[in-house]
Amino acid sequence: MNKSMIEIQDVNVWYGEKQALYNNNLSIQENSIYAFIGPSGCGKTTLLRSINRLNDLIKSFRITGNIIIKGQPIYDLQKKADIEEMRRHIGMIFQQPNPLPTSIIKNMLLPINEHFQGDKVELENLVIEKLQQAAIYQEISSSLQKAALSLSGGQQQRLCIARALMLEPSILLFDEPCSALDPISTYKIEELLMELKQKHTIVIVTHNMEQARRISDYTAFFYEGKIIEQGTTLDMFMNPKSEMLEHYISGKF
Amino acid sequence: MLKRKSHKIDSSIGNAYSFLSLAIIVCVCLFIILTTIYFGRQAISLHFLSTEPNPSALDAASGGILTPMIGTILLTLIGIMIAVPFALATAIYLRFYSKKGIFLSLVKSAVNILSGIPTVVVALFALVIFTQPMFAFLSAKIEGVEGSNMAYGKSFLVAGVTMAIMILPFVIKSMEEVLKTVPESYIHGSLALGATKWQTISKVVLPSARSGIATGIILGMGRIVGDTAIVWLTLGGTLRMTGNQPWYLPGNFWSTLVNTGSTLTTYIYYTSPAGEGNSLEVAFGAAIVLIAIIILLNLAATFIAGIGELKHE
Repeated sequence: MNKSMIEIQDVNVWYGEKQALYNNNLSIQENSIYAFIGPSGCGKTTLLRSINRLNDLIKSFRITGNIIIKGQPIYDLQKKADIEEMRRHIGMIFQQPNPLPTSIIKNMLLPINEHFQGDKVELENLVIEKLQQAAIYQEISSSLQKAALSLSGGQQQRLCIARALMLEPSILLFDEPCSALDPISTYKIEELLMELKQKHTIVIVTHNMEQARRISDYTAFFYEGKIIEQGTTLDMFMNPKSEMLEHYISGKF
Repeated sequence: MLKRKSHKIDSSIGNAYSFLSLAIIVCVCLFIILTTIYFGRQAISLHFLSTEPNPSALDAASGGILTPMIGTILLTLIGIMIAVPFALATAIYLRFYSKKGIFLSLVKSAVNILSGIPTVVVALFALVIFTQPMFAFLSAKIEGVEGSNMAYGKSFLVAGVTMAIMILPFVIKSMEEVLKTVPESYIHGSLALGATKWQTISKVVLPSARSGIATGIILGMGRIVGDTAIVWLTLGGTLRMTGNQPWYLPGNFWSTLVNTGSTLTTYIYYTSPAGEGNSLEVAFGAAIVLIAIIILLNLAATFIAGIGELKHE
């Protein structure tokens, strides 16, 4: 049994008056891929964005319970600087690839330049290393000065993964990373995720049942803000305990 | 049996109406420009562009528009340099820091009202303020008048500050709109990387909005270039630069700034039949230059906005 990396404890979330999550508990193991599945609006993205406190941006957002990362209850953090430091250890990849409208290399150096100092060669080597880890270096090695937005959607997404890796996060959060991509790019990203879990703990929100089945070790099924079922992916898909999950994975929703 | 309705008539009326409106607007625009060129073309010459105006009844000795041109440029630069930092900071505050409430709606309606105040009223207000003795460093102290300790209240600096006040709401609004167009995904991405709010604004939002900000600045410049009332009241009615002569020496620079002068717009007023010169040709000649500057500024704005779009492609 691996060590627990993220503990979600009695988490309730409200947006204004509307409750979005009900009393969720979840334990996410180190070096594994945890998939959140469920129909739209079921709260899986809300929970994902609570893990790095990105929901704090929403003014009406309110949470009770806590999320504990490596023993640190993150909703006990008060100082802005502590929250930002916490986010640096958690990479996040969004549904739409979001490279900035500048060159590839500047995109990669953006998180580093703000927090660290290093000489040019050192930094460049680090960029190359991370691009390699994100399995995109071969495709773009000739033109790191090229505009990031000139890359294809799949390449942009892998660039965003590489950019997230620059700060060497222990956790990576993926919010439907493949829903804007074609099957081949999706396949490449899935392969990459399998590779990345050697060193990182991965949480992925996905609408794609097959994707969850293919890549994840654990799965949680959400419905209307509640976690209906959780467990190893194999178990969940082979022997769904609830009728709802059975319907969902057979596409009857 | 239902009868099918024919849309022939109403759609052709709609077509004709919108086409005619467009045609009229284009015609008026062309008419103004062509008239200006027709009447002013004789005046345009290198001599006209490169000599200072002279108070003379003789056409040959009345000189050109060098100092009004310089005045327009000088005033635009001063106004923009003062207005843009304030406007950008205000727009950033409104977009990223303000919380909804009475204060925010107060600020927003203040900006809206300020943008509706006629420039001549702004100029009048500036005249009252900048003639106060404590602002004498912006223009000059009135001397030799018994019982007066007021400041003169007319100079390039005073007019520049006034111009800045005039364009402030306009530039704030355009920059606020530009900041709104920066995709949320950039902001979330940056924050998820652990960036602070200020890092996100300065390193992600502003660079992404660069071309939009430049467009806003150029459009603000256009408003300064075209304004007459503020120049008339706060820069004064002198055609020549009135600081230490020759005005173009670096050593006399400050003296030029705190003294009066003219811009193309006031030069046109002066030389028009309504002013003192009554030399239509010269007025139209200056108008050609003025329109050319405004067209160039608009082209620059379009060009810069275009660069931004290409980059986002």
